[in-house]
Amino acid sequence: MSMEDYDFLFKIVLIGNAGVGKTCLVRRFTQGLFPPGQGATIGVDFMIKTVEINGEKVKLQIWDTAGQERFRSITQSYYRSANALILTYDITCEESFRCLPEWLREIEQYASNKVITVLVGNKIDLAERREVSQQRAEEFSEAQDMYYLETSAKESDNVEKLFLDLACRLISEARQNTLVNNVSSPLPGEGKSISYLTCCNFN
Amino acid sequence: MADNLPSEFDVIVIGTGLPESIIAAACSRSGQRVLHVDSRNYYGGNWASFSFSGLLSWIKEYQENGDTTNESSRWQEQVLENEEAIGLSKKDKTIQHVEVFCYASQDLHEDVEEAGALQKNHASVTSANSTEAADSACLPTEDESLSIVSCEMSAEQTPSSDPESAPEVNDAEATGEKGDHCDDKTSEEETSTNVPTAADTIEQPKKNRITYSQIIKEGRRFNIDLVSKLLYSRGLLIDLLIKSNVSRYAEFKNITRILAFREGRVEQVPCSRADVFNSKQLSMVEKRMLMKFLTFCMEYEEHPDEYKGYEEIAFSEYLKTQKLTPNLQYFVLHSIAMTSETTTTTLDGLKATKNFLHCLGRYGNTPFLFPLYGQGELPQCFCRMCAVFGGIYCLRHSVQCLVVDKESRKCKAIIDQFGQRIMSTHFLVEDSYLSENMCSHVQYRQISRAVLITDRSVLKTDSDQQISILTVPAEEPGTSAVRVIELCSSTMTCMKGTYLVHLTCTSSKTARDDLEPVVQKLFTPFTEMEIEKEEVEKPRILWALYFNMRDSSDIDRNCYKDLPSNVYVCSGPDCALGNDNAVKQAETLFQQIYPNEDFCPPPPNPEDIILDGDSSQPGASESIAIPEANSETPEESANLENPQAPSE
Repeated sequence: MSMEDYDFLFKIVLIGNAGVGKTCLVRRFTQGLFPPGQGATIGVDFMIKTVEINGEKVKLQIWDTAGQERFRSITQSYYRSANALILTYDITCEESFRCLPEWLREIEQYASNKVITVLVGNKIDLAERREVSQQRAEEFSEAQDMYYLETSAKESDNVEKLFLDLACRLISEARQNTLVNNVSSPLPGEGKSISYLTCCNFN
Repeated sequence: MADNLPSEFDVIVIGTGLPESIIAAACSRSGQRVLHVDSRNYYGGNWASFSFSGLLSWIKEYQENGDTTNESSRWQEQVLENEEAIGLSKKDKTIQHVEVFCYASQDLHEDVEEAGALQKNHASVTSANSTEAADSACLPTEDESLSIVSCEMSAEQTPSSDPESAPEVNDAEATGEKGDHCDDKTSEEETSTNVPTAADTIEQPKKNRITYSQIIKEGRRFNIDLVSKLLYSRGLLIDLLIKSNVSRYAEFKNITRILAFREGRVEQVPCSRADVFNSKQLSMVEKRMLMKFLTFCMEYEEHPDEYKGYEEIAFSEYLKTQKLTPNLQYFVLHSIAMTSETTTTTLDGLKATKNFLHCLGRYGNTPFLFPLYGQGELPQCFCRMCAVFGGIYCLRHSVQCLVVDKESRKCKAIIDQFGQRIMSTHFLVEDSYLSENMCSHVQYRQISRAVLITDRSVLKTDSDQQISILTVPAEEPGTSAVRVIELCSSTMTCMKGTYLVHLTCTSSKTARDDLEPVVQKLFTPFTEMEIEKEEVEKPRILWALYFNMRDSSDIDRNCYKDLPSNVYVCSGPDCALGNDNAVKQAETLFQQIYPNEDFCPPPPNPEDIILDGDSSQPGASESIAIPEANSETPEESANLENPQAPSE
């Protein structure tokens, strides 16, 4: 964990209804796998992938919900200190789209207000069963000031793009000194992780 | 709830307080199938932390003592002939004597209804009945503020065309220039009923003056703990957090100051070696005395002759026999050993002093850590660990009864609120869920608690970001010392410009009776008049809450009537400063259930599963996991063990 390993470390957190493909997105991106395989998530807290952007090593720590979204019981601490949130719905499932405002409320309540949120409509490989039009999602994301992207974890469409674009944005935010844990911001970065893992401490 | 729960588990845990959450994590970690439920819509039970609006909802819940139990008898049919049901409690009875006082001024022009309910310029004393008007005026309904179940809004309209939900979030973002101006749910409701832009155009008549509506508006900045505790930096909880790697889910801050209240004044207690040397209030002679005594305490066991004959007498008496000025005796007794009770023996006092010194310097200049966002994060961190290993989580899920086999007297299953019967081998129940009948022989102690929002620190220094602990000794015999913990906004538990003050003691009367005298010594109610003068020395109270919490720690399981042998009871929070009780309890119960299993071993390192080649070597993590979270001067303060003669 020496500092030379990377130039930036970001914590990215996935949220959204159960079954929209959050784990698949993470697995596809970090391991190139689909489907991720059953039981594979047991004991896995987060996945890590180090990417290189413009010559800089960016370590992405990607957190999954550990199934707590199934009965709407995500712990608040899950949202704390996230640099970015990927809010995912399933384009073939109207219900997963309808729940987005609830998720936004959770974000507003518990996440840092400087967090970057990306809206992701997953499963575009199932376009024939689409229930949520791209236009509706675009309008919604615009109104909420979110980035928006449609993906297929199965076909690997836009998955790399999702994470790499996000990493670029996080870097530029970090550069602008607006990220939560920036040295110049008075709060909350002063908090210290007791373990080796001081999340989001980039330098 | 669309999804159905599986019908069989190894362990069912009812209640999400700290001990239950640790056990759930431990069980799940060792491969057991765990179901963890809580009837409330938040984690932590009496260990929870709340935003301001969340706390108002909580208060309302306990002030409305109406029995709103819609008894469903559906479960009766599920109980077979050779079984019997043990009903669980529907109503939480652990909180009593809730009293709220609002001193901060109301903005008349902003929320007319609210201002009418709580009079301006007066400390409006609102107890049980009178608050309801205020609450109903300023509070969103419960399901709007906390629960995320309701989805009516989006069910009727598509989110994209929803005129209200969209701008709400925008507003919050747009006005957040300083990063601390984010609307709370409550204010969203206000603004939606008033002019939409009202929130952005409030004038602040004077800087430095915090109004009630500002508190409401910034309500989400607050994380108000129901129990006020700290982590001893070498306490059991820190050890467990590190060992289990649960520490990765939380961040901590050092307590920055130990304070004492003496002769009407608040002063800082020098406790580390550096502090002692830098202290301006101690004379050279005192510095030497204190260093010498503290050095002795570090290794008192090796010098039994030094305290022989004093073991069983009061520590305070023993201190008088030592070469210590009254000033120093006071510091050692109340602020370092924190043994203000007159019954504390010399041996316990020395032990406590040693523990304090032992914890000092691991992470900083005091022996204590505080979790960012409040103590309520900690149970949730263990729940996350449990979930990562497959534990299933259900808030807002109540259990109607335990099903007991008549012959074996063992519990077989629970029946939940939907009438679903869920089998399990072991059952852990937080004691507030047990029915009155089961607890009829139990004698509880009580904890008195107060929570204040104030406008400045009890001891002003250059930095306004101090986290302090202060012990105020009991004045009358029979009462107990009051522990005061003052949190600043960088702990992420209160809004900028305010302090959150927690007072705790063992109850002798109601919380207000027990704590108000101390509150009056240290603080003064906020009034408009005094502001004009700007001369007030004491911090002003903007808002205050008193309540009593049941202390069910140390209750023997034999006190509970007809407890099946595979049902284990976890207690609520105890009154102590540290969290050792919860950890001990969890470990003991876990080992009763799974005697051969390791308790919360470190999980595999997520870094081990990196697939791309160029990452850091896996496996190195465990050694790095040994915490060196800080610290600026660990050697210096740790050096108490090896003191040198003061060399000034």
